[in-house]
Amino acid sequence: MTDMTRTPATDACQHRTTATTRRDFVTAVGGVVTAVALTPLAAAKAEAAQETPAKRKVQYGMVIDVRRCIGCHACTVACKSEFDVPLGENRAWVEYVEKGEYPNVGRSFLPRLCNHCSNPPCVHVCPTNATYKREQDGIVVIDDGLCIGCKYCILACPYDARFLNPVTGYADKCDFCIHRVSKGLMPSCVNTCVGGARIFGDLGDPESQVSKLVAKNRVTVLRRSMGTLPNVYYIGADHTDELDADRPEVRQVRVKTHRRHEQRR
Amino acid sequence: MGHELTWGMPVILYLYLAGVGAGAVTVSASVLLRGGDGKFGGGHFVMARYGALIGPLPVMLGTFLIIFELGRPFRALNLFKLINLSPMNIGSWLLGLFITVSLVYALVFLPSFVPQLKRLDHALDPVRKALAWVNVPLGISVAVYTGVMLGAMPSRPLWNSPILAMLFLISALSTGVAIIILVRALFHHGGKDPEDEHRYHLGAYILTATDVMLIGFELLVIFLFVMFAHLTVGDVKHAVAIILPGGAMASMFWVWVVLVGLLLPALVELVYVVPKLIYHRTFAAPKAVEIAVSVAVLIGGFMLRYIVVIGGQATGPVGL
Repeated sequence: MTDMTRTPATDACQHRTTATTRRDFVTAVGGVVTAVALTPLAAAKAEAAQETPAKRKVQYGMVIDVRRCIGCHACTVACKSEFDVPLGENRAWVEYVEKGEYPNVGRSFLPRLCNHCSNPPCVHVCPTNATYKREQDGIVVIDDGLCIGCKYCILACPYDARFLNPVTGYADKCDFCIHRVSKGLMPSCVNTCVGGARIFGDLGDPESQVSKLVAKNRVTVLRRSMGTLPNVYYIGADHTDELDADRPEVRQVRVKTHRRHEQRR
Repeated sequence: MGHELTWGMPVILYLYLAGVGAGAVTVSASVLLRGGDGKFGGGHFVMARYGALIGPLPVMLGTFLIIFELGRPFRALNLFKLINLSPMNIGSWLLGLFITVSLVYALVFLPSFVPQLKRLDHALDPVRKALAWVNVPLGISVAVYTGVMLGAMPSRPLWNSPILAMLFLISALSTGVAIIILVRALFHHGGKDPEDEHRYHLGAYILTATDVMLIGFELLVIFLFVMFAHLTVGDVKHAVAIILPGGAMASMFWVWVVLVGLLLPALVELVYVVPKLIYHRTFAAPKAVEIAVSVAVLIGGFMLRYIVVIGGQATGPVGL
């Protein structure tokens, strides 16, 4: 069921439509319109539902196979255009980690996005319940109708996945492309990834590609010790941080975040 | 440090001003409730009145600052559409309640300035007392919540300490006392009536002695805060290094917060408090000393918020 058909790059026209309806959509989710909004999603899962009559919990997640990442930033760009993300901000981005001293050096890429944690610190601190984890698919969303722009969630996120949208004035971040996913499409970054490094699906379904990848590979999550239970898994990620430069075996580390914030926070 | 501040000066000022105001009102209410001279309120009535009248002002100013920091001020009303366990939500309710109660508390002191309203003033005595009973827990809650709000985030290891709220509370009370000392000293034009003068200095003694005690506790809490952070491994140790020798904010912290804000004022205050405390001599600190000491404490309180708020954002979890 997770092998939702990949569509060719969405055309510009559709971009416009989705961009304008997104806020309405997210707002609507808070109310009674939930059922209507999720109809396509429900249809996509009909097959799985037949297999297991008891309601299985859907948790959308992502596996990022870093071995397949070439650091091309296509996901960053696709995400920027999908949401018209203001200049200087990113919902998804790719970090470069360079380490070692010549001739023993290494470089790896680390695609980043919101982890849609199962224990999201941002949700716990939100004073207006504007950010919440959706029951139906585990996506952590922000309701612009309630957000006051206090930036508490931005500080509470251990992954620096959130930012204050300078245009709207509200907190903003990756939402797994709800508008696409709910129509059976892949998130924009997944859709565009040339190496197939980003794999999206339902972690609650043991038969999904993401679940199989998590089961069969040595996976890691970011900042596991924070207890946030991220739903973005990495295969072959280098977790080296700038602080590791103190270690004699690493010597030099340079992390390029490719964001306005030049350092990881 | 190359870090962009998510919470900048408006928030720093708010945390500070809310602390000063909540501290001043808490001290005022405590003084009113525990005042001696046999009669309720007694000779400390004027002291309580200073705190009551000053207190709401910084809290409202700080609140004004953070509401406008949001960009869309009226959005703040969303906070009052629900109650949840976010420290900011609970804090907003407490803050709204505190501003309301402390404003009424300040207003019921006003008739005491007008001799013609003596009967009304007398009738308001129980009202003041009742409001004071509410103000003590409310003031403490507001001061504590500012620390809890910062402490609620594991992603900010410098703040993620249960003792931070305690530190903010003691700092709030200490700066609250300091601002009462300051305003009393500024408004005191001495020497006409010896009875008045005696009362002024007795009040100053009580406030100054309280401040010494609070500063002592604050130094202890800072010691515990720094020591436990330093003795741990990982995130917190790395974060607290920013205020330890070699850290980017170390000199600022030890000079402005510890030396100027705590040690020096405490030493000067002790010089005047000890003779009275131990040898029962008359307490008579010169006006200039009272002003200098209270200003130093107020500066230290601000610098504490400044360094904690910026340091917490400049440091993060270790590793990825």
